[in-house]
Amino acid sequence: MRRDRSGGWIGGVCAGIARRYGIDPALVRLAFVVATAAGGFGIALYALAWLVMPAGEARPRRRLATGRGAIEVAFGTVLLLISALLALRATGIWFSDAIVWPLVLIAGGGVLIWRGSATAAPAPAEAPTAPLVRGEPEPRERPRLTRAAAAISRTGLGIALVIAAGVAFLQSTDALSAARDVILAVVAVVVVLGAIFAPWIVRLVRSLTEERAERIRSQERAEVAAHLHDSVLQTLALVQRRSTDPQEVAALARRQERELRAWLSERPAPGKAATLTPALEAAAAEVEERHGVPVEVVVVGERDLDPALEALVAAAREAMTNAAKFGAGSPVDVYAESNSGAVRVFVRDRGPGFDPAALPPDRHGVRESIVGRMERHGGRARISSDPDTGTEVELELPTRPDR
Amino acid sequence: MRAGRPDIPALVAGLALLALGGVLLLNALDAIDLGFGLFAPLACAATGAILLANGLSRSG
Repeated sequence: MRRDRSGGWIGGVCAGIARRYGIDPALVRLAFVVATAAGGFGIALYALAWLVMPAGEARPRRRLATGRGAIEVAFGTVLLLISALLALRATGIWFSDAIVWPLVLIAGGGVLIWRGSATAAPAPAEAPTAPLVRGEPEPRERPRLTRAAAAISRTGLGIALVIAAGVAFLQSTDALSAARDVILAVVAVVVVLGAIFAPWIVRLVRSLTEERAERIRSQERAEVAAHLHDSVLQTLALVQRRSTDPQEVAALARRQERELRAWLSERPAPGKAATLTPALEAAAAEVEERHGVPVEVVVVGERDLDPALEALVAAAREAMTNAAKFGAGSPVDVYAESNSGAVRVFVRDRGPGFDPAALPPDRHGVRESIVGRMERHGGRARISSDPDTGTEVELELPTRPDR
Repeated sequence: MRAGRPDIPALVAGLALLALGGVLLLNALDAIDLGFGLFAPLACAATGAILLANGLSRSG
């Protein structure tokens, strides 16, 4: 077991324990906070663990529990914490009921609010990839709405816990009667303001929701267009070019069919790589095989693939394809580097070059499959082309702390 | 006979029930005075341990 400093807040003890046992780090943090509130043990335990656990990036032995497993882990941890608190209280190692129980409620509520806000806000890399069929409901819309509903209910429960903690504290310190007048005044003002502004607020919320749904739909259409351009359209172009060789045409069609079926059923394509280097090498090998142009790949650093990095690889593959098609047969060089701030990929050829600004609007290769795709996933693409030195496509994807 | 891996959730549940049973037996024999202050944390700990073991076993 190792401390996970990259995902931790202080020394990475809680993140390391959570990573090792595949549980939510928030639960481990809650346990330490509660242990600190009860008898001050949490600080001592944390300091001891900090000393004992070496720092490092160990691979998790378990994957994070989800669904029913996550609920059982959460309830189990909470029950164990309550048990420890009751035991400490019975043995007299206890500050005061008026302090500890409100603190426990606040810590629990804080964890729920934190988790709710983290779930509700989508990560910048979370881009839709599912296909859309006109007139049918969006396949990803239901899980997204379910996640949002779960986040809202978690946040609501968290807020209720925090309010209950405040009321319990005021009640135990006999300050509730004094605070009652103030609370009543605040509630009255909120009710009056709510009655006045409710129609505008409801309209604003609806408009924001509709705008967000439209943005998601437009991104999904762009993803579908980019994928079809990179796969089906290119295969059809190759089929036309090699129509004299029936065996090769059949092989191209079979490969495209497998890829398309995997994409439609949202399962990984056959032989899909799990990390950046093999994924780039596979893309280079495919371009080499299809276009007969040598592609040299050099990668410095390694990362596990996630949806954003998969998009980066797809954009790099499209850049390699363009270099192979329009580079006048010159070799294609691919250099990728991955560091703590970003992943960068450079694709270069020594062909005649082109003017990126003069591309016709119906050409999706550069505009959608490279530039648009990188922007949709929080990255950027820069293209520099010159008749003397050829074309260089630079793709950059900033890394998130958890990536 | 092939020796398989132990079923951790079942093992934890069994141990938790054994512990609870032992405490109840001691109480019946008047060896301890089992009040709410002692039984509540024990029951919470047993249930929590069983749930945690189940949840962790699901995550593989």
